[in-house]
Amino acid sequence: MSKFLNYRGVDFQLENEDFYATNVSLSAQASVDPVILSDGSLLNYAPSSAVVGSLSCDFYLTAALPSYLNITGTHDTPIKAKFANVEIAEVYPKNISFNVEPFQPVLISAEFDWYGDVKVENFEEQGINQVKQKQVPNYIAHSYKSYLSSRNIFNSDYSGPSGPTGPSGPQGSIVSFSYRSSCDRPTFFNVDEVVPFRVGKLNKQCEVDLSANNLGKLISVNGKNASSVIYLKDFYGTSLSSFSIDGVLSNQNYNVSEGQYLLTEASIRQTITETKTLI
Amino acid sequence: MSYLLSGLNIKNISEYNSSDAYNKYDVIDFQLHSQKSAYPNYTGFGETGLLFWFNNEYLNSFNLDLDNYITGWLNKETSDISSDGMYANLLQLSEDKSLRPFVYFDDNYIELFGDQFLSGSGFDCIERTTFVCFDASTSPDTNPEQNIFRFDREDGWAESKFSTGPSGFLKVKGSNTQGQAKIMVDEQEFDASSPIYNALNIITLVQTSGATSGPSITVRQNGDQLGTYEHYYSGWTSGFLKLGDTNNPNGVKYYDIFSFSGVLNESEIKSYEKYLYESYFDGNDFYFAKEDAPTGFSNSPLSYNGNDYWTQDIDDLFKLSYGSSVNFSAKLSRSDFGDGYQSNVSRNINSLNSVFDLKYDGLTDVQAKCLITFFETTPEAGIKNETEGFAGVNIDLFQPYKKDAELYFLDINHSTPYNDINTISIKAESLYDSNLDYKGMSIKLDEKNIRTYSDSLAGFEYDDVVYFESVLYSERGYYYYTGQKTQTSVSEENSPVGAQSHFTKEFYFKSDIDYDITNQINLVTIDYEGSTKQYLKDGINYNDLEFNLSFSSRSNKETRALLKFLDDKAGFKIFRYSLPQPYNKEIDVYCPEWDHTYNFHDNNDIQVKFVQFRAKSSKLTNFDTQIDFVSI
Repeated sequence: MSKFLNYRGVDFQLENEDFYATNVSLSAQASVDPVILSDGSLLNYAPSSAVVGSLSCDFYLTAALPSYLNITGTHDTPIKAKFANVEIAEVYPKNISFNVEPFQPVLISAEFDWYGDVKVENFEEQGINQVKQKQVPNYIAHSYKSYLSSRNIFNSDYSGPSGPTGPSGPQGSIVSFSYRSSCDRPTFFNVDEVVPFRVGKLNKQCEVDLSANNLGKLISVNGKNASSVIYLKDFYGTSLSSFSIDGVLSNQNYNVSEGQYLLTEASIRQTITETKTLI
Repeated sequence: MSYLLSGLNIKNISEYNSSDAYNKYDVIDFQLHSQKSAYPNYTGFGETGLLFWFNNEYLNSFNLDLDNYITGWLNKETSDISSDGMYANLLQLSEDKSLRPFVYFDDNYIELFGDQFLSGSGFDCIERTTFVCFDASTSPDTNPEQNIFRFDREDGWAESKFSTGPSGFLKVKGSNTQGQAKIMVDEQEFDASSPIYNALNIITLVQTSGATSGPSITVRQNGDQLGTYEHYYSGWTSGFLKLGDTNNPNGVKYYDIFSFSGVLNESEIKSYEKYLYESYFDGNDFYFAKEDAPTGFSNSPLSYNGNDYWTQDIDDLFKLSYGSSVNFSAKLSRSDFGDGYQSNVSRNINSLNSVFDLKYDGLTDVQAKCLITFFETTPEAGIKNETEGFAGVNIDLFQPYKKDAELYFLDINHSTPYNDINTISIKAESLYDSNLDYKGMSIKLDEKNIRTYSDSLAGFEYDDVVYFESVLYSERGYYYYTGQKTQTSVSEENSPVGAQSHFTKEFYFKSDIDYDITNQINLVTIDYEGSTKQYLKDGINYNDLEFNLSFSSRSNKETRALLKFLDDKAGFKIFRYSLPQPYNKEIDVYCPEWDHTYNFHDNNDIQVKFVQFRAKSSKLTNFDTQIDFVSI
């Protein structure tokens, strides 16, 4: 790198697709521990694990979320990322999240792990022509038309104009919500290698946080079963992606502050499992 | 289901079926054919038509001279044999003893070298199905043709009702590689589908007179049909059979040969081939797919193509993971002489017992199934020899240990933290590491990581290990480089035995800063009933130390050097050790036990147990005699 690189000239791609990112962050972490000998001298700093790279980005959703960003799916193969014209051959998505708040576009945040050598010293800007020829997205996900399907969210009866009733009680209006799907990515190494031969998936979860004026009765010791679907649409109502959750609501908070309404906040959490296939 | 399959704790493993395709990590029980086997004299198929049958099952199958050389191999099909013992047997009546094969009754074969042969008559047949199981060794000739057997008229050359040629030959030819290895019937060559040398082979020849389609011989190798040869030589229809005269000074082993008059059907052929397979292919029948295997018998484990798909080598399937570890302990007979003096006698030449904990991490369920099956089937390996049990598993160990280790798998631990993620640890023991081998037991003088020192040897780094050869025992042995890194060779002065040597033979490694030494005074106790206990000192050396030290997070290079040092000491040899602060005293110790865990690249943990040794013997503890083994 011979100069400071400008945001406008730095490109970000996943699997050769352009992503309109507002922020991209790349880091690497080595785990080393000092080795101190019996005579008090320092022998060296010994590695205890591989260099773990981290890549995070916030991008506008301009089309359906690609399948390779399906965090809770069964595939654990890496994808290819390209940042500032440097390719990272194997990145492993480990979570995505987004918030939907009134009058705001929806930014998807994604985090990845990566391993191996990345030529960060070769970062470079795109050429001017390349930048000029870049397509401007017509559609981005926006809260204006996006929504969380609140009908029957607690599997309660929905009867008549007075809204849902039943064991969970009445359900109010949702003000904002957020979604997050995540998993752990444990690494497995062969001896004498510092790049993992497999990066697995563990503890796959989905979580939806809600903010509403009323979320029915208080949770029981079993929590409260809840299922819903989030629909992300652009400003014109074109559907881009949907995210479903079928889990349990395990906490409810009620807050009010000066000049604000009383709001209840809650989290629905789903643990994603896979039924084993007989082999 | 065979007992092999029913003995496993794994389901959904079946016998190999050539019409099925297999996926990587699939496991099969290879039984050649799915048919049941049948002895050649089995009559369940109806009239057998068994013409002759020779094998080495019984002592009374042979006529021997006074020196146990064979003069007659007797036909097990006795219905057609005349009373003089000559007819329909294979004989060697020459006065030249060198033509007679020797019989080893421990073996289940007869080996014929060079021009040795056995022959006989009375085997006439126009149509026949012949089976032979043999193991040909490679010949010193560059493009050899080795006779396996031939049919002919007794006088050597026959009138033929077929187009050409007299003797009907079965031969092998060429090198042992695919495309070069040939099975020959007369002059017709067939590409062998599996190796023809240093491997058991079942050759089946189906000889038809061809009343409608012309005479032909169909050739099968290990159950795989290689082709059909038309218009064979007339010798095939004659009654003289000659076994041997192989042209191969290294010999051909004949395990079994039998023939039926007439053409057997496919099912019968497979049953008899399976009899040969079950009788002589002594080894593990389980094979593991190292790649996706397509259908077809030519892709079966015994075939050349099969080598691309099937394996019994664990290193073709799995690589070890970090966290693998090993424990060494010396099997010593210790004698305490009082006053703290002792003697340690190594119980045998394999005195250092090593138990490896082999870790395989991050396996899928399919991989775990494969590895568990591998583990459970290791006792199916063939017997090593008459005096030993089954063979161990050949495996590449983790650094710094040798790559050609033979381990016996003892127990397995399988854990799974999540769906399709498995961790398997296998405990395995190494039995045959000789402390007479100057190259080392587990860590070898391999001329790559550990080199033999010479004046021209160049490139040294701290903790490099070299072997220094010398006529003087006091100079000979392993040295450890403690000088500055250099790309060149070292001067004579700095050589292992130089005046200003940059090498050492001493224990120069420093343990971790956190150490724990417990010192227990050796006392004699007198405890009279109803009285106060009395302590007396136990001889003159009552402060013997026995302590553990840790060397944590050490680089691969230092680990190799340290472990090589311990390997060289074999668990009982004495060396000097400087105790850490505040002791700071140099004492004699030996190291009967140590552990090593390979945590990560350049990160190894080693724990050692040192035992103080008083009054080191002036006698050498080394076996210093060279033994040359020569074949007789």
